[in-house]
Amino acid sequence: MYETSDIKNGLKVEMDGYPWTVVYFQFVKPGKGTAFTRTKFKNLMTGNVVERTLRTGERLTPADVAEDNMTYLYNDGEMYTFMNDETFDQVAIQATVLGDDKQWLLEQMKVRVLFYKSRPVNMELPTFIDIVVKYTEPATKGNTSQGALKTAEFESGATTMVPLFIETGDTVRIDTRTGEYCERMIKK
Amino acid sequence: MTPDPSGLRARATVLRALRNWFADHGYLEVPTPVLVPSPAMEPTLFAVSAHGGFLRTSPEFALKRVLASGLPRIYEIGPCFRDREHGGWHGREFTMLEWYRAGASLPDLMDEVESLVNAAADALNRPRPGRWSRQTVRELFRDHTGVDLAHATAAEISPLDPDDWDGAFFRRWVSDVEPKIKAPTFIDEWPASQAALAEVRAWRRWPVACRFEAFVGGVELANAFLELGDPADQRARFEHAIDAMRRDGERPHPLDESLIEAVGRIPPTAGIAMGVDRLVAVLCGWNGIGPGRVV
Repeated sequence: MYETSDIKNGLKVEMDGYPWTVVYFQFVKPGKGTAFTRTKFKNLMTGNVVERTLRTGERLTPADVAEDNMTYLYNDGEMYTFMNDETFDQVAIQATVLGDDKQWLLEQMKVRVLFYKSRPVNMELPTFIDIVVKYTEPATKGNTSQGALKTAEFESGATTMVPLFIETGDTVRIDTRTGEYCERMIKK
Repeated sequence: MTPDPSGLRARATVLRALRNWFADHGYLEVPTPVLVPSPAMEPTLFAVSAHGGFLRTSPEFALKRVLASGLPRIYEIGPCFRDREHGGWHGREFTMLEWYRAGASLPDLMDEVESLVNAAADALNRPRPGRWSRQTVRELFRDHTGVDLAHATAAEISPLDPDDWDGAFFRRWVSDVEPKIKAPTFIDEWPASQAALAEVRAWRRWPVACRFEAFVGGVELANAFLELGDPADQRARFEHAIDAMRRDGERPHPLDESLIEAVGRIPPTAGIAMGVDRLVAVLCGWNGIGPGRVV
């Protein structure tokens, strides 16, 4: 068991049948009261954040979680297969577990997979990925408005908005946390 | 941690402003011992043991003996120690300011806090905290949680603490009330069970302690008492605290007989303790006491 004095950012605990990680904590003690730790926990499966006020001496259950570096191999529409970079074991993960992030997966992409009680429950993409534009409308002559955007489709199947000067075949950088365009890396 | 020169200059400016303010208002600075035989007798305060005694958790007991000797306006600024407290706004060692004024009321002390904090802000060339308001604990709870403390059970205040009314009070306070206090506020009429060394208005239907806390920038800056003047009541409260410490599995501190004797001789007095590290930090807009300290 963890004590309140063990609380630090990144501590993984189990509450209400979910694994959580500490993302914020603050020691508080009213002058005439007992000490508490105001703590924010992020649900490692859903991303929800909750705040709990823990009294000094209260205990927390360590979460049975592990995070492995893995390489994405392929999918059959329902199951996505990854290889553990250390053991070379292959793991198939259901599409629903991967959520929207799976749209950015490219073969051989390095990701981190979170296991809770030995079951894969979440995947973390690299924060930035460089990816080739599979198709985007050619820019129409004369449209020079600053900041105008258009849709681009990528080789992974994902789509997002890009500036007008981006052409099919360019390689661009995407922030996977927001799914937004950052900059052009290679011009076709 | 590397000392922060601008933080230390700000601290020195505030200390000078405080001493000037007290001199202008007829207060005498009285240094009292840091190493004491009996520290504060509160179950939520843990003292650091030192050389057969303790490092003081506040100068309160010694200053009351000075009051009883016939000095009506006294203050002290100096180091105090509270074990098991550490965080952005807490340090095991910190600087406490305490002042006592015979014949004063709690509203008198509120005026002094405002004047003193403004003097420190002016010395720093920082904005004054702004207009102060005055609210009772019961009003704040009603506004921010919908709970009426005068009628609520522990479980109604916090379902996690059904057997501990004060514990329930503080968990809810820390979670839902204190974070909402942004403007400078004097918070008074605390539950009688949290009176410590303050007089209690026990005859009321909702018995409250004659004490207030001053909040600036959401930070608890000071705690004021209308000082208890009844030695028998003082002894009973200490014995109650000793029982509570034993229940918590802690070794009770020795009972300070010289303080109990002094309580019987002090005139009606209002007294207040203020965290100097916090005062500097809130006036400078820091997000903790760190920059003003050498650690």
